[in-house]
Amino acid sequence: MDQFLGYVRPDGQVGVRNHLLVLSATGLTGPTGRRISQALPGAVFVAMPYDGGLLGEDRDAQIRTLVGFGVNPNVGAVLMIGGNPPKLDHLAKEMSKSGKPIDSISMDECDHDAITLTERSIRVGAKLLLKISKQRRVSCPLSKFFLGLECGRSDPSSGLVSNPMLGLIADRIVDEGGKAVFGETTEWLGAEHLLAKRGATPTVEQAILDAVLDSENRAIEAGLDLTGENPGPTNIAGGLSTIEEKSLGNIAKSGSRPIQSVLKYAEAPATPGLHAMHAATYAPESVSGFTASGANLILFTTGQGNSFVNLISPTIKISANPDTEARIKEQLDFTCPDVFSGEVSLEDAAPRFLELIIDVASGTKTWGEVLGEGEEVVSRFGGSL
Amino acid sequence: MRENSRKGWDAVVLNPIDELATALRHLKAGEVVRFRVGDQPCELIMKTDVALCHKFVVRDVVAGEKLRKYGEVVAGASESIEAGAHAHVHNIKSLRAVQK
Repeated sequence: MDQFLGYVRPDGQVGVRNHLLVLSATGLTGPTGRRISQALPGAVFVAMPYDGGLLGEDRDAQIRTLVGFGVNPNVGAVLMIGGNPPKLDHLAKEMSKSGKPIDSISMDECDHDAITLTERSIRVGAKLLLKISKQRRVSCPLSKFFLGLECGRSDPSSGLVSNPMLGLIADRIVDEGGKAVFGETTEWLGAEHLLAKRGATPTVEQAILDAVLDSENRAIEAGLDLTGENPGPTNIAGGLSTIEEKSLGNIAKSGSRPIQSVLKYAEAPATPGLHAMHAATYAPESVSGFTASGANLILFTTGQGNSFVNLISPTIKISANPDTEARIKEQLDFTCPDVFSGEVSLEDAAPRFLELIIDVASGTKTWGEVLGEGEEVVSRFGGSL
Repeated sequence: MRENSRKGWDAVVLNPIDELATALRHLKAGEVVRFRVGDQPCELIMKTDVALCHKFVVRDVVAGEKLRKYGEVVAGASESIEAGAHAHVHNIKSLRAVQK
């Protein structure tokens, strides 16, 4: 049976990395947080650039995202900084349900002196780093995978090969009892009838159709002509002509299993299986939504090349375009131009890809990790007060 | 997926009902290209160059016709297009999120 080596968390989730997350919960402490993380080698740093004046969905999504990053199983411990104790206490209490070490220090407790906050945080963070370094990887089943399925700078090779390849892997992980999530609602346009048919219940079917209608109406209301925007210039240069064509390729990532729910941005799924996230299509926002929902591995297909990777969850890049493979050597973790040409079947290549996924889950670095490309970008839904 | 529909062929037609084929290599105007529609081998003389991964129509289509790939409608023809000619944003258009 296939196994990977992961970090088992107190809540039963399994991390494929063991990060100390330095999290600035407000834009006011972002620069201080960056300085703190630089003093703690191995820490990953995420800054939430907003706080005061957030309304409605922005307010809810910000809390979901901050808590979601903290409880993501790739995070071994959290050092959170921010403006005042009430908000940090609330976030820390939610994150503590994961059973992991969570520490927070506010500016209020440091007389609003950034140097005091820096010094105290480095001391606390150093203890956390030492503590999580005692954890060891152990053998875990593939049911502990939670895959985030993404594509970026797609071309028709994505829809022909790379996305169906992700679909095969997603089916396999779902069948093992694991989780997978796909999003990018705009790229369901023209393919929603196929997705809706896979809704596990009539409620899910309707939620898929409603999500697409919402995205399409927002594009129309904004006076946007999708062609040129999505597909964008790189997609068009690569050969994609319309959103319908792109969508039909995109949804192949989701495989063939029933869709259990339609999640809000950064919402954690309540059950195992495949889930759809109604969210932004732009990869940095989309993937952060997956990570905040608990995804511990991101599988990311590209046609023309795309250097973006997530910070908290390793992002495995795959392309099937023979020209792209020849052009980009230090970005693509897995290439299969032999599948594009038909020399090798998708089904024959999939085990080779799964082997790489298991290696990365067990500690092998991705190109994105080696090059330090990771970032978290959280969606906004409206203006601040 | 029809894996064996690609090996050794110049283009792929993903569903026998599709008007749109995808180039598996850079195709040149005037050359004879080979692909399959279902199990049926077909040949066509290219009317234009078509780059790797770009599309061409496998039969003459008229303006306003709906065009399919994956067996699904992906565009409408905005002008008449001859078999073997490049089909892309200059002559086919999305039918979704169209301004009222």
